[in-house]
Amino acid sequence: MPQVKIVAKNFMDMVASLPAMNLDRLYQNAFICEAILRSMPPLAKKYVLQLLFIDVPVTSKMMEEWVLGDGLSKHKVAIGRLIQLRVLTETLDRKREATYRLNPTFQLNVQKHIVHGGVLPREPMPSTAGLRLPSLEELDAYAVQQWECFLLHLISSSEAEKATNISSSMMKVFQHGLLSQKDDKEPPRLTEGGFQFLLMDTNAQLWYIIREYIGNSEERGLDSADLISFLLELSFHATGEAYNINTLSDIQRTIIRDLADLGLVKLQQGRKESWFIPTKLATNLSISLSDTSSRKQGFVVVETNFRMYAYSSSKLHCEILRLFSRVEYQLPNLIVGAITKESLYKAFQNGITAEQIISFLQQNAHPRVAERIPSVPENVTDQMRLWESDLNRVESVPAHFFEEFPSKDVFEAACDFARECGGLLWENSKKMWLVVKAESFPHMKEFLRRQKQ
Amino acid sequence: MQVLAFLNSVLLLNQLNQVVVIATGFSSCGYVFDSSGSVSQRAESLLPKLEEFVENDESGSPRDNSVNGVGSSLLSGSLSMALCYIQRVFRSGPLHPQPRILCLHGSPDGPGQYVAIMNSIFSAQRSMVPIDSCVIGAQHSAFLQQASYITGGVYLKPQQLDGLFQYLSTVFATDLHSRNFLQLPKPVGVDFRASCFCHKSTIDMGFICSVCLSIFCKHQKKCSTCGSIFGQAQTNDPSVSEGKRETPV
Repeated sequence: MPQVKIVAKNFMDMVASLPAMNLDRLYQNAFICEAILRSMPPLAKKYVLQLLFIDVPVTSKMMEEWVLGDGLSKHKVAIGRLIQLRVLTETLDRKREATYRLNPTFQLNVQKHIVHGGVLPREPMPSTAGLRLPSLEELDAYAVQQWECFLLHLISSSEAEKATNISSSMMKVFQHGLLSQKDDKEPPRLTEGGFQFLLMDTNAQLWYIIREYIGNSEERGLDSADLISFLLELSFHATGEAYNINTLSDIQRTIIRDLADLGLVKLQQGRKESWFIPTKLATNLSISLSDTSSRKQGFVVVETNFRMYAYSSSKLHCEILRLFSRVEYQLPNLIVGAITKESLYKAFQNGITAEQIISFLQQNAHPRVAERIPSVPENVTDQMRLWESDLNRVESVPAHFFEEFPSKDVFEAACDFARECGGLLWENSKKMWLVVKAESFPHMKEFLRRQKQ
Repeated sequence: MQVLAFLNSVLLLNQLNQVVVIATGFSSCGYVFDSSGSVSQRAESLLPKLEEFVENDESGSPRDNSVNGVGSSLLSGSLSMALCYIQRVFRSGPLHPQPRILCLHGSPDGPGQYVAIMNSIFSAQRSMVPIDSCVIGAQHSAFLQQASYITGGVYLKPQQLDGLFQYLSTVFATDLHSRNFLQLPKPVGVDFRASCFCHKSTIDMGFICSVCLSIFCKHQKKCSTCGSIFGQAQTNDPSVSEGKRETPV
């Protein structure tokens, strides 16, 4: 059965898996070099810096001398990563020794950055141009609202009040793997992957969507390398500054419209010209590549009596909580629910694991309880794990059932044989019944035939 | 120029990295660069500020002091400023940065600042801030040797100043986590000599007050720091408890 695994896979793995040609072309953009460098493991970053002004190949033996004995595994990981990203190229010299040197394009770009300092991709518009910029809080609220609206659309288009401008074909692409629809009459159901997607944090969700977006770009006649470089470039813009949309190329303008629907940028129309304002979601793009350290304000309080209070007015939150709990009543700013055995079983059936629910509750714990350790009461988490293991108590194995043995001896010999080949599942010596695994059935048949002779 | 490249590279490594440069002059010290201010600020903007700082510092310092050759810089002042800045960042938000201080030091030690510097070193140690030191002057700096030794930083005196960037990027750009498994310069020997409180001169042996541990180069009747009265000056009598000889290290 093909299974869509929704994992918050690192974006850089995707970049690394690009063909060498594309990757080399990507490095011509200084911003990509910067983003790639920042996404590397610390040791790899350091090596790049160390090798930056060295123009001759460096032998691998020399590089190994840089680390202490117990750091060797980390060293190997770092070097492996660098080679995978084609930042380092490995060559064998005459003495069959591996030597490394930096990718010249990459090296030149980073050198330039270091000597001349970072430059912004484009100058922000002067603030005197008569445009009113939204404050950072407004911008954040806008981004969150856009994103939630998009997510609601994604899981159930009927629930969302506000229509997004994302074409239904684009929506289909995003929904692929998250929703499954048996036939047109039935409303689409969330798949296992879809549930896991909803429980991820925003950055991981964003990357999943962006990855789908990039993966789909070829079909829409866009070059994925262009798209990646534009996205990464976008992440180096300053949050809350306005940028003139005329500085973008035509392709970029279509992209930015899609991104505005996701809440990555806010578009504003002036009298003469229009501009875009990157939100935190956009500028976090390159941050979330490496780690998801940014924490959202939590809203859930779980009590030891399995009741759950969620201080949120968001419909999306309500939908998510409904996935694994029984929502009892809803006040304007509060959702009250209970985690019950039935609600959890429903979640387990949908392929959500107890660990995922627990980590969701912990990540979204209300600031008041987040300081406590553990933020979710232990009896609740333990019970959730127990209920989950309850479901896994019964294991089904294809098997064969034997009865009517001619004699006790034959039965016992058969039992011993089954035990020897590791296929015995169950025996009842009184009734002379025997159950063996399906895979050892041929051996059993052979054995019994020999016994008869 | 090489330092600028180093600053840029530190900022490049992680978008959360911040750099603050504090200039240390003869009589004053001041912030000349702070990367957290605005995003567009570039390291080049440091240079004019630095020039301005040098001018102000020269005009502020008394002329007559310059007769005794190269004076010492106000290291203690800039260390305290750095520590204050770090404390402010610690307290201002939920961020848990891992700050470190790099002293790029060219002038000889000023023994007069001994107490102030040691105090900054100990407060750096308490707040777990390593002090790295890169000595670009002619002689080793005993203060910075001690500072790096006590706080767990790296002390390095580059042999060739032409390749300063390579030294900086190889040794001092390393984040604290990676330092655990990298070969970094080891301290060859630390000059632990102290300065006396009375004449501010570096001494090998001296007297210390048993109450407040103040150091004196000559026997005193009364501790100038805490005011405790010492007994008879009997340096050859081991039973005297208050005038104890400091063991040379």
